[in-house]
Amino acid sequence: MELLPQALIDGILLGGIYITIAIAFSLTYGVMHVIDFAVGEWIMFGAFAGYYLNKWTNLDPFILLPVVFIVFALIGYLIQPVIHRVMSGNRGNPLLMGLVFTFALGLMFQGLALTVFGFYTNSIPSMFSEGSILIERLGISVTIPTIRLAGLCYALAITAVLHYLLKKTTFGLGVRALAQHKDAAGLMGVNGKRTGAYVYAIYVGISAMTGVLIGCILSVSAQMGSQYTIFAFFVVVLAGMGYLAGVPWAALLLGMVQSIFLIYFDPGHTLLAVFAILYTILLISPRGLFGRGV
Amino acid sequence: MKGFNIRWALLVLALLLAVPTVIHDTFVLRVLTEGIMWIGLAIAFDVIAGYTGYLNFGHGAFFGLGAYTVAILMMRANWPFALALLAGGGVAGIGAVIAGLPTLRLKGPYFAIATWALSRAIQQLALMMEITGGPDGMRLNAFLNPQFFYYLMFGVVAATFITLWYLLERAPFGLKLKAIREDEQGAMALGLNPTKLKMQSFVLSSLPTGILGGIYAYWITFIDPASTLGDLVSDQALVMVVFGGMGTLIGPVIGAVVIFAFKTVFWAYLSEYQVLYLIILGALIALSVVFMPNGVWGTFMGAKGGKRQKKQEAGKIIDVRAPQEEGE
Repeated sequence: MELLPQALIDGILLGGIYITIAIAFSLTYGVMHVIDFAVGEWIMFGAFAGYYLNKWTNLDPFILLPVVFIVFALIGYLIQPVIHRVMSGNRGNPLLMGLVFTFALGLMFQGLALTVFGFYTNSIPSMFSEGSILIERLGISVTIPTIRLAGLCYALAITAVLHYLLKKTTFGLGVRALAQHKDAAGLMGVNGKRTGAYVYAIYVGISAMTGVLIGCILSVSAQMGSQYTIFAFFVVVLAGMGYLAGVPWAALLLGMVQSIFLIYFDPGHTLLAVFAILYTILLISPRGLFGRGV
Repeated sequence: MKGFNIRWALLVLALLLAVPTVIHDTFVLRVLTEGIMWIGLAIAFDVIAGYTGYLNFGHGAFFGLGAYTVAILMMRANWPFALALLAGGGVAGIGAVIAGLPTLRLKGPYFAIATWALSRAIQQLALMMEITGGPDGMRLNAFLNPQFFYYLMFGVVAATFITLWYLLERAPFGLKLKAIREDEQGAMALGLNPTKLKMQSFVLSSLPTGILGGIYAYWITFIDPASTLGDLVSDQALVMVVFGGMGTLIGPVIGAVVIFAFKTVFWAYLSEYQVLYLIILGALIALSVVFMPNGVWGTFMGAKGGKRQKKQEAGKIIDVRAPQEEGE
């Protein structure tokens, strides 16, 4: 039982990071109506970018975050028109085609990563990696690694920026309008194509940045991608489709599940637990934990 | 189905039936048997993906469920093969019902990732359980008779093809599934029950997959979580269906033949570049989606949107290669 408070704290700290991925992920879905199967691969590529940049420049990964964001946002901006093309025009089943296309992207990315980076597992050193804060109160002692705390701060900052962008700017208004009704938003003068490209760019950038953090806190490997795709999906479905306010809670729950499995059970069984929870919740409440999804 | 000639089909059937009497080379028979298995897996995948519009990335999981059921029943409980095979199909079918119960209520994209997560979960289950042999896999008693497996595989796939052809192209069932694919709410308004139909289609897709998995286990005599429950089965079925043409029965057959031939050649000469195979699969899917969303069959041959029809219906069908301007 002494480990329980530690597990819960770890879970909160880890879950914070998933919030950023899940918000960007469900934003993309809202605007482009495509589930990006390559989300985990973006995280993986971001982690490797952070790993190699750190190796070459010896700069701290936290300083490298903006660089990673800009590079990957550019890549996302360039790729989005292809996805847009697959899903538009006079084709049967645009949604299915978009899904198949991003899945194919993910497959290619994974193959590329395995070819280039091999099967090794690494981790990114950071100035926060060493330290930790020890809290002892009422006979319970909890260690908070500084790196995880820094990760949570990053997650809160990104969430705040996204919140500001969505709720206070004209761009955000356009994004929300597109998510509500594509055609009507187009009639009101929202350029769906360009807004979609921006949103996709932001999403790819954030996923890659979060990948760097995951690389610092956990590890970097070419096979890590698919696990995070499933995690992102888990959070979004649990929160309820398109219900952004539910995302943080679902992400924290995922962090808890992961850390509890890490401490009490075999970490290899996390996916099994994740699926069991997902299955049960979908069976009882298909519209997410809060019943507010679409 | 336009362009599908029953005489040609009978000719192909007769040719395939005659093959083992002419060719006695074990290797050739083995390759042909596996090719036929992939045809079966591809058409089964197309029932839920192409006709119903729900991508099932857990296709490999149902294949593995069938394989493991047969292996466990034969090795641990000493069941005869025929009974174990039926049980394998049954387990895959029941698995589809259990998996479909919550996931088929979701819209298309969510079903896709949920089934993907399911396949991962089943793989982990097979890795940790004792009855499945864990990561070491299971070995079955070998039954060395290539002709037997050829005819069995051929019989099952032919029966699957004929059943699906009747249900999807001749009976109203196929039209109902297509209605769900095109517009689920519209289908509901017509008095159809989408959840029930999707479930039927899911079971129809998983049952033959489980049976094929069972035959595969007994034929290959060794199964392990990495080869039988991995993503590769689903990925290959997807590339075959997308490349050949979704939502038709002939498309996946063409796709399966072409991709399987490529795979055989690739593994024969370039087996050290396994990862390259992943990239090629991904690139093939992506290119097919971008440049020929109707697949080989739909783009070049007699099916809807084909070259012949295009002349007659010029103006109705838009050339997929022409870049399309958005009206935004």
